[in-house]
This record gives sequence, C-alpha cells and structure tokens, in this order.
Amino acid sequence: MHDVWRLVAPRSYLDRQRRAGLLFVLPALVYFALVFLAPLVESVIGSFYRTVPGGESRFVGLRLYEKVLTDSTFWQAVGNTVSLLLMSVPATVVLALMVALGLHRLRSIRARSVWTAMYFLPFAVSLVAAALIWQWMYDPLYGFLNHLLGRGGVPPLHWLQSLEMVRPSLAIVNVWVRLGFDTIIFLAALQAIPAEYYEAASIDGASRWQALRRLTLPLLNPQIVMVTILELIFNFKVFDTVYATTQGGPAGASQTVIMLLYDTAFKYFRLGDASVMAVFVFVSLLLVTLAQWRLFRRQVEY
Amino acid sequence: MRSRIVCAVAVVAATLTLALAPPTAWTQPKKLVFWTHWEQNPEFNKFYETRGKDFAQKSGYEVQVVTVPYQGYEAKYLAALVGKSGAPDIFMGMTHHWCGQYDFCDRMPADLAKTWDDSLPKYMVSVGKWKGVRYGTPIEHGNFQQMYINTETFKKAGLDPDKPPKTLDDWLAAMKKLTVLDAKGEPTQVGFALRHKGHPVGIADKFLPFAHAYGARMLSPNLERATGFANSPEMVAALQFYADLVQKHKVASLVFPTPEDAFGQKRAATIFRESWYFGWVKKNAPEVSFKVYALPCAKACPGAGNLFPWTNMVYKNSASKPAAWDFIRFISNAKDDLDQHQAQGILPVWTANLDSPYVKARPDYQSTQEMLKQPVPPEYYHPKSNELATAFGEAVVAALYGKGQPKPLLDEAAAKMDRALKD
Repeated sequence: MHDVWRLVAPRSYLDRQRRAGLLFVLPALVYFALVFLAPLVESVIGSFYRTVPGGESRFVGLRLYEKVLTDSTFWQAVGNTVSLLLMSVPATVVLALMVALGLHRLRSIRARSVWTAMYFLPFAVSLVAAALIWQWMYDPLYGFLNHLLGRGGVPPLHWLQSLEMVRPSLAIVNVWVRLGFDTIIFLAALQAIPAEYYEAASIDGASRWQALRRLTLPLLNPQIVMVTILELIFNFKVFDTVYATTQGGPAGASQTVIMLLYDTAFKYFRLGDASVMAVFVFVSLLLVTLAQWRLFRRQVEY
Repeated sequence: MRSRIVCAVAVVAATLTLALAPPTAWTQPKKLVFWTHWEQNPEFNKFYETRGKDFAQKSGYEVQVVTVPYQGYEAKYLAALVGKSGAPDIFMGMTHHWCGQYDFCDRMPADLAKTWDDSLPKYMVSVGKWKGVRYGTPIEHGNFQQMYINTETFKKAGLDPDKPPKTLDDWLAAMKKLTVLDAKGEPTQVGFALRHKGHPVGIADKFLPFAHAYGARMLSPNLERATGFANSPEMVAALQFYADLVQKHKVASLVFPTPEDAFGQKRAATIFRESWYFGWVKKNAPEVSFKVYALPCAKACPGAGNLFPWTNMVYKNSASKPAAWDFIRFISNAKDDLDQHQAQGILPVWTANLDSPYVKARPDYQSTQEMLKQPVPPEYYHPKSNELATAFGEAVVAALYGKGQPKPLLDEAAAKMDRALKD
C-alpha cells in the first residue's frame, strides 16, 4: 500500500522514474486486460455455468468439464488438431530455416529482397482467401495439382475428400501460409550473427556443416524456440483454413478443437461447453509453451 | 497557454459529441434493418428494399437488407441479438431456435397472426410457431426436396424422362444406367449427386427423405428420444441403402463437388433439392434441360417435410418493433407473396397463389401437388435440432465414407442425441 501511494505521490527521483515506467506500460496493460484478460476470465467463469444466451444461467460446478472431457467427439477433435500440428509445425520451422539460410547466402540484396517478399506474400493473404486458393488447387476434377499429376501419369488424388489425405493437405496450406513469417524471423537473426564467428570457425578448419551445427543453430536457438512456440499456438488454434475448405470433413477427419468450440457455441448454443473447450486450449498451450521454454531455451550471447 | 488548452479540450469534446451522437440525432430517414442469410436468393431479398420504399412513403421507415453469408450466420446473429447493439429489427431464421432455444422474438400481433394462419397451406401452419404462438412468417413453400432430372442424360441412357422412377428400387436401377465410368473406373457422370461435404446438419437433411421413405424417423413423435428411432431397423436399412449408392453401386461419388454444381455441370443426372433450385438452375445452368418429379417411394413416400423451416421474425428488443410489424403487415398479402417469390423463381407461400398461372407454369407444379398429397413426414422442430442433426449427420457421412457399418454408427449417434436431449 505504501509503495502504491509512493507511485501516486512520488517523493524521490527513483519514485518518479518508477511512476514514469508504469505510465509507459499502462496503455499496454489496460489493452491486454480488456482485450485478453477479461474474456479469459469470463470464459473460465462461463465454464462453470450452463448458459443460454438471452436466457438464464445456472451454476453447475465441474459438470461441464466432466461432460466435455469424456466426450469422444472432443477427443477426436483434439487428436485431429495434434495430428495436424505434428505435420505442420516441424515442416514449417525446418523449411523456414532452410529458406532463410538460402536467402542469407544470396549476395545481391535486391534478389534477396525479391525472394523474401515472395516467400512473405502468402502470410499477407487472408487465411480464408488462402484456403479458397488451395481448395481450387486441390479440386479433384478441375484442380491444378491433379492436372499436374495427370501430366505425369499419376492418378488423381482426393486431397480434401479422403480421410487419409485431408489433414496432410491442410498441413500443406498451413505451411504455405506461415513459411514467410518464420523465414523473416530467421533471416533477421542470421543477419545479426557477426561474420567474425564464421571467419574464426573457418580458420579453425570447421566445415560448412560443422559451422551450421556448432555455430548457426545454437545462435539461432532463441528464434527457433520462439518460432516453434508461435507455430504451435497458430496450429493449435487453426480455424479459418479448415472452416473455409472442409468444415471439419470428410466425416469429421479434419474437425479441430477450435472448430468444435465454434460449433458448440454458435450452432448448438452451448456456451458453457464451449468455454470448457476454450479453457482446455488455453491451459494446454500454456503448459506446452512453458515446457518448451524451460527445456529448450538457452542463453545466447553474440 | 491556458486558453489554448481550454480551446483544444473544447474542440476534442465537440468532435467526440458529434462522433458519439446517436444517428437519430441527425436528419436521416428512419430505417428498419432486415437480416437474411438467403444469399442464394438475391432477387427475393431485394424485394424487401423495393417494397420498403413504398412503405417509407407511408411510414417514414425505409428497409435496409443485410445479407449475411450462410456459412456461420448463427454466430453473427447471436452476437448481435445478445449484444442488442447493431442487431436487426427483422431477421430470418428458424422459430424453434431463436424463439425456442432463446427468447429473442417478439410475439406477432394477433390480427396479423390470424391473417397468416388463414392464408397458409395446412401443412405449413405450424411453421413460424413456437409452443402454439406465432412469431414468424414462413417464407418458403416447397421447402421440401423433389427430384430434378436431366432429361438429356435420361434420353442418352435409354430412359424416358417423362416416366420417372416411382420406387427406390426402380430409381436405383435407373441410377445404374445413368452412371458413366471412365477406363480407370472413375465416374465421369453419376446417376445421383448426394451431399457429402459441409456441415453434418446439411448432410442429415439430404438423407432424411430416404429415411422417411423407409418408414424411419430421426426422433420419437414427441421429440424426446432418439434411441429406438434414429437407430431403428428401418433407419439402418435406409442408411445401408444410402451408403451403398457410393460404396457398392457407385452411382454416387464423393469426388464430385456440391450436388448443385454437379447437376449444373451435367455430371449428375439427378439431384434432390427444394423449389428454390428451379430458379438457381435457370440462372446458373440455363443449358441444362430438366424436369422435376416427386421423390421415389419405398415403404412410404417421403412427403413434404423439411429440416429448415425458414421464417421472418421481429427482434423483441428492437426500438422499432411496431414499425417492423407494420412493414410485415404491409407485405402480408397474396400479391406481394406472389411477386416476391416469382422474382426469384421460388414457390409462393400463400394458399391463394398455389394455383396461380405462375405456379401452374412451373415445372414442379405437378410434383409439388403430388408430394403435398402424401402424408406429412415427421417434423423435427426442436430447439436443439442443429445439435441433434449434427450427431445424426456424422453417422450418415461416416457410413458414406465407409468409416463403419450403419448399425453401430447409428447406435452411437442415437446415444449422443439422447444425451443432448436430456441435457
């Protein structure tokens, strides 16, 4: 209480500095509280209530948790999400790293800028538009991909219509959309590594592969951890691309947790059940992020 | 310095006042906002604005139509209706959802309700009502599936397009003749275009005529139980028949796009759709020559039933409720009913129009009459109909994709539906 009062009525230079610091971060804190924290708290509270919008709410304790967490459809959606995530995240991170390394080696700044912009372009496209573009590419009858396969004598594939192919096909869309963003992060990090390190490594007789393994990758560790976390979050929350292309089909094979959450809230009007799913997503992502942060984060000093 | 600050504050305050002032403070015409998600029927929707101009001369209220994309419309409606701000005065939807599950609807004035009760065909009188009270005006007659056939493909297959199959057995035999496979065994043309994509609710809706033809029903007559109905032997047989169309007989394909497109592209010889599809084909695939017939029967005839009884309702928190009802009253007459539906090529709703020259000249006149004479099939106007139809539709689509046998799939669906009903 005493400290709070000193912020309101500072007595020393240090107090004034603290107050200035607080005022600088205050807009961000208020924004975060209003836009993120308040809905989160509301979701947590909502998960204990059976809510009928426009009607009355009833406290039901943990009943909705029991109901949702024992529902096979929910776990199927979780399984689909994890499977999609396992296909998308490693592929995106590894490909982005490879592309960034390739771009970093380009001597011409103009060529590098053009290529970087081309890789980044899909990231600037709306997810729904990207999904529709790919839906056309995947069309079994008129799609570009089957046309190409046909030219090579390969029979057409049922990209989004097959139980086995639908998730890999959606993973390709996600990789395409996210690749540019991750590439930019890696490229910026690569450009920040002093060239002297590579010169020293070269003098010590390190091969290119050794330089990559012993120098580049360890120095990129913070970016790799960050990008992996961002990709995990993006892919766990994936909705737009799936909703615009398959709506969770065929036969629920691509229904993700967020899609189920959406349907539960807005098609079945069960806001309490949907809140439980939202809490599940939040807690899962928090745990995975913390674990990843703790396990893989290493201090890096250039 | 101080006076400058005072001036600046005054300017900011004046700007904020102007920006935040409610639109009514301005001299704008008064407006009724109408939300619809019938994006496939733009001419029908435009009619509200056209007649709204006439209504404005009388009342001062113009009508603004907002077409919300069908995909995800529930979320947009719900957000607006719960939030009250930005909500429509009149909106389209299903009465048992918005007035049953929620309490968003204003009760229709008694005189207007009587007008509608007296003007509707008997089978439609329950549409727009919740617990016996009328909230909505039905907007779609012929909202039941009928059989559209491509006459050219029928002729090419050696079938007479004037003698459509009347039973499901005959229909299946015809579908086999109408299916064309390429050298690799892939269909280039199918007999029947079925719904296999999209939300399970729509998939359930398209399967129900087959279920009803087999004498099955999705829920008990009092809509309180699914077990024993959604997984009855009749339903299992119906789903087996439906899945066999894809898996065994290969007269339907999971590769083809939406059924509507497949029919429009002449890749499917038949499709089951509602009366609005007549207008759609005329506009989007005018080169397709087609005829419309009653659906084939088996143990029973599918009859005039639907899963989506669309109506127009007035939002109970609207500040312009009386004007909204006045507008609905303004267009509640046989002439407007005919003009509006004719503009889009849909069947009108009012009984007075069912034998109008426009309706009689339609290709679905005879089939509509025939289907209306059949016993009315089960209705599922339950507040949780979306959730129930989703569970049921998941079983249907799983059978289509060969993910399991109809019986266990339907058992699982029925159990899930019962849980939803009890919850």
